[in-house]
Amino acid sequence: MTAIRSNNGKESEPAVRPGSIFRFLTSVRLAIVVLSLIAATSVLGSVIKQGGTEEEYLALYPEKTYHFLKLFGLDDAYHSPWFYFLLGVFALNLVLCTLQRIKRLTREKGAGKKSVPDVKALAAGGSGFTVPAGSREEIFRRLGGSYRKKPISDTAILYEKGSLSRYGVIVIHTSVLLILLGGLMGLLGGQKGFIVLHAGEETNRAMSRSRSQPAIPLGFTVRCKDFRVSFYPGGEPKEYASEIEIADAAGKVVKEGRIRVNEPLAYGGVRLYQSTYGMSNLFTFVVDGKRIVLGEQEVASAGKAPFMVARYAAEVHNFGPGVMVAYMDGQEPKTIWFLSKVEKMKTHMIEGSRVTLEKIDGKYYTGLEVARDPGVPVVLTGFGLMLLGLYITFFTFHRRIYVVDEGDRIIVAGTAPRNKEGFLEELKKLAEGLA
Amino acid sequence: MITHHTILGVATILYLALFFLHVLYFATKKKGIVPVAWYCLCATFVIQTAGIGMRWVESYRLGIGHVPLSNYYESLIFFSWSISVLVIIMRRRLAYPVITFAAAVISLVLMAYASLAPGVDKGIQPLIPALQSNWLHVHVITCFMAYAAFVVSFICGGLFFFGSGKVVPPADTLDDINYRSIIIGFSMLTSGILTGAVWAHYAWGSYWSWDPKETWSLITWIVYALVLHLRMTGGWRGRKTAILSIMGFASVVMTYFGVNFLLAGLHSYAT
Repeated sequence: MTAIRSNNGKESEPAVRPGSIFRFLTSVRLAIVVLSLIAATSVLGSVIKQGGTEEEYLALYPEKTYHFLKLFGLDDAYHSPWFYFLLGVFALNLVLCTLQRIKRLTREKGAGKKSVPDVKALAAGGSGFTVPAGSREEIFRRLGGSYRKKPISDTAILYEKGSLSRYGVIVIHTSVLLILLGGLMGLLGGQKGFIVLHAGEETNRAMSRSRSQPAIPLGFTVRCKDFRVSFYPGGEPKEYASEIEIADAAGKVVKEGRIRVNEPLAYGGVRLYQSTYGMSNLFTFVVDGKRIVLGEQEVASAGKAPFMVARYAAEVHNFGPGVMVAYMDGQEPKTIWFLSKVEKMKTHMIEGSRVTLEKIDGKYYTGLEVARDPGVPVVLTGFGLMLLGLYITFFTFHRRIYVVDEGDRIIVAGTAPRNKEGFLEELKKLAEGLA
Repeated sequence: MITHHTILGVATILYLALFFLHVLYFATKKKGIVPVAWYCLCATFVIQTAGIGMRWVESYRLGIGHVPLSNYYESLIFFSWSISVLVIIMRRRLAYPVITFAAAVISLVLMAYASLAPGVDKGIQPLIPALQSNWLHVHVITCFMAYAAFVVSFICGGLFFFGSGKVVPPADTLDDINYRSIIIGFSMLTSGILTGAVWAHYAWGSYWSWDPKETWSLITWIVYALVLHLRMTGGWRGRKTAILSIMGFASVVMTYFGVNFLLAGLHSYAT
């Protein structure tokens, strides 16, 4: 109970003994220092911009500050080596602290069950009382309801309650370790990516968040059958959802489902989340009798010379929507406007090919977040265990009441390591109305 | 026409009445005022609950029905409501007029700020898709019960420095209430963070993203975890606990207000 104090006392001893390093690693004091450092890092991480580009930092801070941040990894504090080091020390300390607590509890377990403490002293100190022998049955009746009865000798009986409470701290510490372990599993075996699809399109790879990294192969094909978005009368999005079909490597459809915000779809350890949506245009051209569909910035090579959709405009000089197409006339780049609402402007000749703009469709695309995180079940178990541990640590408490027969009178006295105030109230209630 | 704004206005005036009742009690020391103040608190709570209920019903009339826990205005109202709930639940332990007084003052400030500050949008807004989840209720309720418990802890920590006397309860009592509030607050904050993490896992595909609100709630969690460890293993009591609970509350204020105004992040709909 007094780990900090006892450590203070040991500071004067020589620090090089092999046992002292171990004692330092198991101390609550180390836990307090490391937790404070983790909190301090988190403060820095929340104030300093994280994961930005060099230009973004130089716009915010002087160059020297930027180099300083970069040197100490403060531009990505939560993934810097020394933050991992802090978490590692914290985990080690927690393991050792918890093991020591288990050891102490198993050693203490037998004590107090076999011997009776000095009940007279306890009663004199306020955590007990003395009643005439006649109240014996009434006391047994009052305690019998919720306490477990353990006779120690012919004259002394131990009543115990909430003994599980002592293990609560172990449960909480284990849950923290599980959450850290789950986080590590996610870090090592997890992947994140992003998919953008129009209705009818499919892909078997996800883009990485950072552009420098290559696309992530999924191992299956994601097809977007449909995407719908609905709006509130004020224009804010109310709901957006993608109808998704997943096909395995052989092309067989293995999963179908609807992905909404808050309702992901899971397949083979990968989850797909509705993240964003947006609108882009698709342009249908007929090139020498052949129909092709192009997106913005896409190049058509169906005709005699390639051309590219350069720019879309919703309104071109009051003639309605139009699209600017770019092509090479020999060595010279040229552009030409196609207007979908003006008959004469729908068809042009490009390098000898007859190109007609048939229609322009505004089409929604869906943005899906793709995540694989093998640590999630471990983390969720940790969450459940933590709530359980908090409940038994703080909302149940361990107490022992000894009932000692002294012939003409009975001494009732007990101990509660935590919640002394609550225990004294309970004793007061127990003594109420006894002669 | 009587709308929820009228009812919540009445609740604000009642908090003000509660403030003056306590001032009257401290000035005259008439014992008869204490039960009157208690009934006034209960009446305030009932009317505030009715106001929140009406806002809920009105959102359905607008065709955008949702529980009123979705924007900054609604969270301020709910924060003040949570403090009153806790004071009523912990009535036996908090049977000191000065604590009820301090709690009522904080509720009053929150209500007044919510209805008077020009930057707070009081309208009922439709629920964006990310917030359309059953996790919204449990996440927001647990977080605000935690904040309310930390308010009580902060009050006890602050009162410690006024010296016990006729008005301020003895140091041991303050320390006991402080500890009880911290264990309620810590358990609720843990539940709030964990439900938030599970929700984030379903909504954003990641249970932890180091978003400023997440980060600051973790910092607050660590501060109170330290308070509990220093108390249980280092025997920290009284003055030290009082200072720590004030520091912890500073972190709560940063988590709730500071993050909204100083740092941008995923929780930005709460501003």
